[in-house]
Amino acid sequence: MRDRLRRNLTSYVMLVPFLGLFLGFLVWPLANSLYLSFTDFNGVNVPEFTGLQNFRRLLFEDDRFRHALMNTFVYVIAAVGLGTLFSLALALAFSGSSWPHRIMRTIFFLPSVTSSIALMLLWKWIFNPGDFGLANTVIGRLGLDTVEWLANPSLTIPILVLMSVWGGMGYGMILYVAGLNSIPHEYYEAARIDGATTWNQFRYITLPMLRPVTTYVVVTGLITAFQVFEAVYIVFRGTNNIGGVLDSGLMIVPYLYDQGFTHFKLGYASAVAWVLFLIIFVLSLVNLRLGRAVKEL
Amino acid sequence: MRRMPVVACALLLAALGAGCATGSTTETQQADTSAPATISYWSTGGDDETAIFQKAADLYRKSHPNVTIKVQTLSWDDAYAKLLAASTARSGPDIISGGMTWTIQFGAKGGMVDLRKYGVDTTLKAQALPAQWDSAISPDGTVYGVPLDMSTVAIYYRTDLFEKAGITSFPKTWDELTAAMDKLKASGVKQPFSMDWGNLDWIGYFNFLYQAGGTFYTPDCKPSLNTPAAERALAYWVDLYQKYGAPTDTVAAGNALATGTAMVSGGNWVAKGIDLDFPDLKGKWAMAPLPAGPAGPTTFVGGRAIGVTSYSKHAEQSADFIKFMYTDEAIATMVAEGKNRNLPYIPPRPDLIPSSTFTPEQSAVFAESIRTGVSAPGCPGWDESAPDVSKQLQSAILGKADTKTALAEAAKIMERNAG
Repeated sequence: MRDRLRRNLTSYVMLVPFLGLFLGFLVWPLANSLYLSFTDFNGVNVPEFTGLQNFRRLLFEDDRFRHALMNTFVYVIAAVGLGTLFSLALALAFSGSSWPHRIMRTIFFLPSVTSSIALMLLWKWIFNPGDFGLANTVIGRLGLDTVEWLANPSLTIPILVLMSVWGGMGYGMILYVAGLNSIPHEYYEAARIDGATTWNQFRYITLPMLRPVTTYVVVTGLITAFQVFEAVYIVFRGTNNIGGVLDSGLMIVPYLYDQGFTHFKLGYASAVAWVLFLIIFVLSLVNLRLGRAVKEL
Repeated sequence: MRRMPVVACALLLAALGAGCATGSTTETQQADTSAPATISYWSTGGDDETAIFQKAADLYRKSHPNVTIKVQTLSWDDAYAKLLAASTARSGPDIISGGMTWTIQFGAKGGMVDLRKYGVDTTLKAQALPAQWDSAISPDGTVYGVPLDMSTVAIYYRTDLFEKAGITSFPKTWDELTAAMDKLKASGVKQPFSMDWGNLDWIGYFNFLYQAGGTFYTPDCKPSLNTPAAERALAYWVDLYQKYGAPTDTVAAGNALATGTAMVSGGNWVAKGIDLDFPDLKGKWAMAPLPAGPAGPTTFVGGRAIGVTSYSKHAEQSADFIKFMYTDEAIATMVAEGKNRNLPYIPPRPDLIPSSTFTPEQSAVFAESIRTGVSAPGCPGWDESAPDVSKQLQSAILGKADTKTALAEAAKIMERNAG
């Protein structure tokens, strides 16, 4: 034991700085938030242990949380589904090495390297009310009446999905292009010789070979979509509420922020964070298991 | 061996519990008041506001050479979180200013000093607007903060469009307002009315509620939204949207006027920007107080509150500076600097409104509005209820619920949060 320790001592010492940062900035805050989720911590007073009360209230009594949860699920399904679909479509359209393809890939990737705050402000301006926003100017030119985009509850989630798909499809496209280029050409040649149509080649070669990329795109998309915050906070926040008109854009993380930093319920907000963690964890696990199960079929 | 992770986790949690429980809200040891002190003041708002408060602080230093006050800006977006973090860590500014009810909330959690200890209430209460003072202090009378400035609502309207519609004077009552909107529509105005401050929000409803004789709470803080007056106010407000097409998506007042909206209800700060941002509107707009309702005229008065943190080592000097902020000389200095910076500053003393940073005509309108001013309720549970009450009001405006149901639901929320 001592010999092994002596042999590896240098490695352990070199790990110490990372371990210190890892413990101090990840494990400690995480464990602290887990502890706080069982308390009534309000940011100032000494937290008092309240057992499962926060979780009980959250899951069985809090209508706003249920509303946020429902909004989030609808948003996640639409944003991840459409985002993945458009990423794949773009990759199929622009996977070549010619200049036009490279330029198109760069254009579609640009939102991924732009500050999300700047992008959200841009969207807010696009959907400005009256005659000021680009969206209303365009539909005005078409002879249509102006629309109150950000004050119409039925448009909130579609707008959030649009912003997410537009902003994220470039990143997914790059991953899919890498996946497409790694599929051996021989497979397609053999399929063509056997008389496979283009659709059959896509269905039975491209899609199965892209499964690891799809799993990655979907899992990372799920995590990002569940944590949506800036879009709601910047584009839809009103004077007095964070979730937009009639809470139509209220999602889990904005709700967490609202409880923690508007109402000082930091214990309760920690409970929301842990419920969100569990949801993402379970869904990611299901996705990975599904991917593995399909592969084994 | 398998039990090790479980045991480790349990130990970690226990250690965390112990660690977290070490925080306390014991009284802060005060520094010697005769020794030189550097006081830190975090001001929520913009840099221009910080600059006028710094001018007052520099003036204070002339009569108190031992006290240096440094004012820093906190943006509205993250001020609340930063002040909360400072309270949790019990280190940060000596003085804070922000939303009117913030000091009450921080105070209730042990983060603020009761200023009565330093005689702030006896000096300032008589000078402040009673409604705003009542809104800034806690329901039990504790003074964690006092008003720092005022904000209010007025109507900004296009005189040329009114003239074209044959309206000779600005409407003074709800009925006259409705008649004016009909005339404006008949003269070809597409958008007769719009709301900037308080659109789809309780602040917008506030004015109509009080003008109709209603209130959010009774004087002893019992929710009182489920009344015929509240219903009448909501019905009138909803009509402005549904019948007269007031936009539900907020258009900034200047933009609205520039694109042909005949009148906009907006905050006092709007007055400073119209001529500057829309030179074409020069000479084509004017201001008026809100029309009176069946119970008379009432206007919402907001503003910021200022207080001293409980972890300040210079509480006495900080409280003394707050008293100084109400003096004629401090306000004159702030107004002078505010005028240089084109800042919409209304002092917390109603008697000094005529000397605010606005033109005499604009100040006269604000003075008239503030004369009938009522502030946000300072009752327990209001801050928690306000966003949900707004949502119930929105459901009536958007036709998802009738006015009676929306108000009944809002009243239920307020009752639940009142404890």
